[in-house]
Amino acid sequence: MPRPQRTTMPETSSYYHVAYTLGLGIYAAYALSLYIRRKRVRSAR
Amino acid sequence: MKISWLPTIAAAAVIGTVIRVALFTPLEAKQGAAQKIFYIHVPAAWVAFFAFGLVAIASGVFLWLRDQRLDRFAESSAEVGVVFTSVVLITGPLWAKPIWGTYWAWWDVRLISTLFLWFIYIAYIVLRGAVESPELRARYSAVLGILGALLIPFIHLSVYLFSTMHPLPIVGKPSKPSLPSEMLLTLFLSLFSFTLLYFAFVRSRYRYAIERDAASAAHYDA
Repeated sequence: MPRPQRTTMPETSSYYHVAYTLGLGIYAAYALSLYIRRKRVRSAR
Repeated sequence: MKISWLPTIAAAAVIGTVIRVALFTPLEAKQGAAQKIFYIHVPAAWVAFFAFGLVAIASGVFLWLRDQRLDRFAESSAEVGVVFTSVVLITGPLWAKPIWGTYWAWWDVRLISTLFLWFIYIAYIVLRGAVESPELRARYSAVLGILGALLIPFIHLSVYLFSTMHPLPIVGKPSKPSLPSEMLLTLFLSLFSFTLLYFAFVRSRYRYAIERDAASAAHYDA
């Protein structure tokens, strides 16, 4: 009788890491852009 | 140094969520770590729809009351909504590749309609930059802001109406959520923290709009 095979979890962690790096990177870049724009407009006044 | 509490709390909540996703949320057996993209992809989509929905409401009330604060809020919410939609459009394909075998499917209505939503609000931002008269700018962009949001219910229902690779909702549906409690808690935490981030961004963007308009008025007065 064949032994039941162990199912292995697919190795997909690189997609997970890239998605979080890019996603959180976009939020951080937007926060920085807001900070720079507000600083510029304040110094222009 | 003055501490701004809302951005600080929002950033702390997002960091806490990412730690919970990485260390305290179980791996899904069939998809492995890629399934954890769910906790950044779904909240980004929820916030984008929420942001554009508020753009439509603020724009509709603006056309009625002509209150400049509503126009500023709509402008701010639309820009933040575009940021969150960008995250949806980047994280979605990165999740799709290991699961569907492809990053993108041009025939898939859910994917294409979300891309169209992004284009509409990019056009909204471009329109605001192109019209010089503040009154006309506010009126034109209010109309576009309302029309763009009409896509949102269509995007939500597209998975029921068309043949699509995109999965059906597992939480935002009439029956009970089909997700283990640990995963469900992480999802609710991420929905909460990214919604908080939305409010922090909109508040800062709204303040920038006030400062910019004041600087512009001072420039014309001088």
